[in-house]
Amino acid sequence: MATIVKSYEPTFWDRLYLPALAKGLAVTLKHFFRKKITIQYPDEKYVPPDGYRGLHRLNKYPDGKIRCVACEMCSAACPADCIHIIPGPSPWEDGKERFPVRFDIDLLRCIFCGFCEMACPEEAIELTEIYDFSNYTRDDLLIDKEGLLGVYELTKDTNYYSRPNAGQDSEALTSDKF
Amino acid sequence: MDFLGFVIICVKVLVVFSATMLTVLMMVYAERRVSAFMQGRLGPNRVGPQGLLQPIADGIKFLMKEDIIPAEVNKPIYLLAPAMLLIPALMTFAVIPFGSTITLFGREVPLQVADLNVGILYILALTSIGVYGLVLAGWASNSKYSLIGGLRSSAQLISYELAMGLSVVSVILLAGSLKLNVIVEDQQGYLLSWNVFKQPVAFLIFLVAVYAETNRLPFDLTEAEQELVGGYHTEYSSMKFAMFFTAEYANMVTAAALTVTLFFGGWDVPLLNETSMGALGAILSVLSFILKTAFFLFLFIWVRWTFPRFRYDQLMKLGWKVMLPLALINIFVTGGYLTLTSLR
Amino acid sequence: MPIVKIDDTDFTVEKGTSVLQAALANDIEIPHYCYHPALEIVGSCRMCLVKVEGMPKLQVSCNTFVGDVPSDKKIDGKYDMVVSTQDELVQQEQKNMLEFLLLNHPLDCPVCDQAGECDLQDYAFKYGNAHSRFEEDKRVRPNEYLGSQIVINHNRCILCSRCVRFTREISGSSELFVEARGYNSKISVLEEKPLDNLLAGNVADICPVGALLSTDYIHKNRIWNLDKQPSICQDCSVGCNVDVFHQKDQILRLTPRENHSVNKFFMCDKGRYGFHRFEEIERLTVPMIMSEGGFIETTWDEAIEKTVDELNGAGKGIAGIASPFHTNEANFMLGRLVNGNVGTLPPITSEEINYPSGFRISGDRSPNRHGMNDVCPSIVDDFASAVERKDIRFLYLLDDGIDRELNELWKGMLEKIDFVVVQSYAMTDVSKCADIVLPGQAPFEREGTITNDMGRVQWLRPSVTTKGESRPDWEIPMLIQSKHAGVEGLTDVSSVMNEMGKDFAAYSDITFFRLGDQGLPLNGKAEE
Ligand code: SF4
Ligand code: SF4
Ligand code: SF4
Ligand code: SF4
Ligand code: FES
Repeated sequence: MATIVKSYEPTFWDRLYLPALAKGLAVTLKHFFRKKITIQYPDEKYVPPDGYRGLHRLNKYPDGKIRCVACEMCSAACPADCIHIIPGPSPWEDGKERFPVRFDIDLLRCIFCGFCEMACPEEAIELTEIYDFSNYTRDDLLIDKEGLLGVYELTKDTNYYSRPNAGQDSEALTSDKF
Repeated sequence: MDFLGFVIICVKVLVVFSATMLTVLMMVYAERRVSAFMQGRLGPNRVGPQGLLQPIADGIKFLMKEDIIPAEVNKPIYLLAPAMLLIPALMTFAVIPFGSTITLFGREVPLQVADLNVGILYILALTSIGVYGLVLAGWASNSKYSLIGGLRSSAQLISYELAMGLSVVSVILLAGSLKLNVIVEDQQGYLLSWNVFKQPVAFLIFLVAVYAETNRLPFDLTEAEQELVGGYHTEYSSMKFAMFFTAEYANMVTAAALTVTLFFGGWDVPLLNETSMGALGAILSVLSFILKTAFFLFLFIWVRWTFPRFRYDQLMKLGWKVMLPLALINIFVTGGYLTLTSLR
Repeated sequence: MPIVKIDDTDFTVEKGTSVLQAALANDIEIPHYCYHPALEIVGSCRMCLVKVEGMPKLQVSCNTFVGDVPSDKKIDGKYDMVVSTQDELVQQEQKNMLEFLLLNHPLDCPVCDQAGECDLQDYAFKYGNAHSRFEEDKRVRPNEYLGSQIVINHNRCILCSRCVRFTREISGSSELFVEARGYNSKISVLEEKPLDNLLAGNVADICPVGALLSTDYIHKNRIWNLDKQPSICQDCSVGCNVDVFHQKDQILRLTPRENHSVNKFFMCDKGRYGFHRFEEIERLTVPMIMSEGGFIETTWDEAIEKTVDELNGAGKGIAGIASPFHTNEANFMLGRLVNGNVGTLPPITSEEINYPSGFRISGDRSPNRHGMNDVCPSIVDDFASAVERKDIRFLYLLDDGIDRELNELWKGMLEKIDFVVVQSYAMTDVSKCADIVLPGQAPFEREGTITNDMGRVQWLRPSVTTKGESRPDWEIPMLIQSKHAGVEGLTDVSSVMNEMGKDFAAYSDITFFRLGDQGLPLNGKAEE
């Protein structure tokens, strides 16, 4: 059998409700005059906090070669299964022997968890702080290798995480040549 | 009636009509801005200065939208319903005095479209007709949500019409007339001669009932989005939806004006005798009327964005078990008091 | 028999079994590189160290054998040998060995095709240190082609010499050898004798790391993306067991699957790279009917209707061509359709190759001649004269799917027969002689049983889905036959096997379940 435990016995004034109503009205009125927190987007831009995870980019070495070696660790780590890579031998004589022929990310499926950048052994994929990349069609939100490298060109002056190897070129990092 | 009288009437109708419509437009804008402000947002501020032209943009959007008539509706009634709601809403304003008297072309022109001797009854009658619009819209739409919405509104209106009517009775008792003009004149003089101070209980009952009558939160059970999608207007789109929308706001304007008339001295400016001040008095009286009405309109919005919706059984309980007895007691007390004083 | 105790568990093993074999047979993992069950033991990688009671040093388990001990010398009065694979010393040594192996090993896993199936990766993760103390520069050597299909990445090689032993013992061609000694040693070939034998592909499989790579698969994909389907190679009558690695209906590589009754551990390169053949093929996916001047597409209903009409019209003058490239089930259904009146196309052959290890590449390029002969017992060799004699007017031809020149005799014969139905997956020369072409399955789409030339029935499993409107090979003759005879059709390949078992006693107890991964010898005919 259920027992009703009354923790609070309303007084006459409570039962009249009018004071409570007035209190409520006072609250909304207070907010009416408060400072508004809206950011007027195209005019003002939201500045994300450090560590914000936005659009991906594919990093390059200073000599212009793609860092990614198409090892597919990112796509294996991706919980949304939205990275699709087709690997192939790289076109460069020196440097890494493997590179992505195709590298597609389905931004519609991506949940921006950042697992891909954590999994990447080459520090090749990285999430930038770009958040406003909405588009009109689904197809436009499938970003390919050129797109990702384009994002890198846009944002290459920013280091989103500390990169110990940032200064070195690809040759110094490889031990073998194919 | 001579020709000049006819012209004056026509001008008054035109003025009142366009003023009401203008207020409706402003209310649409105000509602969005005020609600945004109360929620820490900015609200529409892009169309025109401070977003003032937003209602026009909204109107254009409504006009351009596809006008969908669902397949299974009862077409004549479906088409008629919005008009049945809008027309009474606009007609109500006819008997409300919005200023004192001015002298035009050598005649006394009262600032009121029609001074009916059954003014109050006329208003009560029209608001009751308005509910047909809702019920028929709900029924004709052939949708369960619409139907429930329509049914709720009819039950709600009956419940609150009673309390409202009874609360008005005490005001009528004080003024001794059904004429709104007389009621306003009765409240002339000091601030304390306003009915709100003579009849605070009646005022509260009336206010609550008015929110219920206009289907505004916290009594918007008829269009409770969470349960009924859109209530009676679920199946309406485009301009027909806009008509419902306009009617709701027009009702609000009328209700605010009526509240002012019945309880806040109408166009009365306290401590001034407007009728004896000529044109200046008339302008002051109109201004005072507008200001008071504006406040009540603001109150409508304010309340909407403050209180949550009632549950249906709570609504009925409040109507029948609290408001109605309270209104009855109030009448007895007022009547008893009046009898006693007149006997003396 | 000796009793050996490995980590608290007792096992009774054959005398002369190595500790490593005993452990592996009982699902106890001992890391190892140079040991391979098919190859001689060299004991060079030192990864398989274990502690043996009574021996002062750690022992390599691959080269330590269990023997009978006189009963008074038994340990605890019971055991012939007590082994610990978990001893602290063992663990320390495993760490040390891995550190040695990794001294010059590059951090290549992201670009290495072995990653994901690499013993070095696995053991380093499981038994090794997380870091290296080696601070000097690693030895770096360029990649080299050992043969046309095999590349070696010297940096990754751990010099286990499996590949060298393979070419000496299995292929017998001895191309590979370890060049130089010590720090300079590396796997090498002589310039005039590259690694180009027909078993070369296997070295990439047995290499425990990513040092030997097949150019066919290099940088193509990652192993964890692929689905693995155990199946049978269909390029010769040996019927090597294979794993087909495929992704999104595309086959990427074939690797041999262990089956001691057939191919043991290996397969030949003809079969290994054979699947590429089907990539270029112009695949038939809709039924086609011949009308003046060329083939036009039609629907299955119409095609079958037409075939049945012709079949009815031909009366007794019907015959079929069975194919040794098709499954037993397809051939059996064909035999049923044409009342056992069967012939077959000329065989496709090449030279039979035998390797010293016993590995054999058959000269018969068709996978199922044995099975075809079993389920179509009345096959006539001289089909052409049979056609003359019996006045054949309707011919149902199961096409091999191999593009070949038909000789004049066959051409003339096909021309003469009123109505020729060809069931094929490609527009071969044979299909072009048809009046109606019914699209069947390509080899890796088929399901059924095939019987190799030693009489072992094996389960052929589909690795990729059937393309377009093509239908299972056994289903097409079945549909026609059931419509023609007005009987209920069979619903799946198992029920065909069932029917087959009724007609041919040798196949009576064959089911997919009993066949499993390893297949079954035919009744009474088991070799071995
Ligand atoms: S951020 Fe997460 S979901 Fe998006 S691609 Fe990377 S791993 Fe996948
Ligand atoms: S982005 Fe990084 S993790 Fe992904 S394939 Fe390229 S190198 Fe590997
Ligand atoms: S051989 Fe193994 S450990 Fe070495 S790079 Fe390749 S996957 Fe990594
Ligand atoms: S190439 Fe592979 S199989 Fe040959 S010795 Fe090196 S690691 Fe062993
Ligand atoms: S496996 Fe025993 S030493 Fe290599």
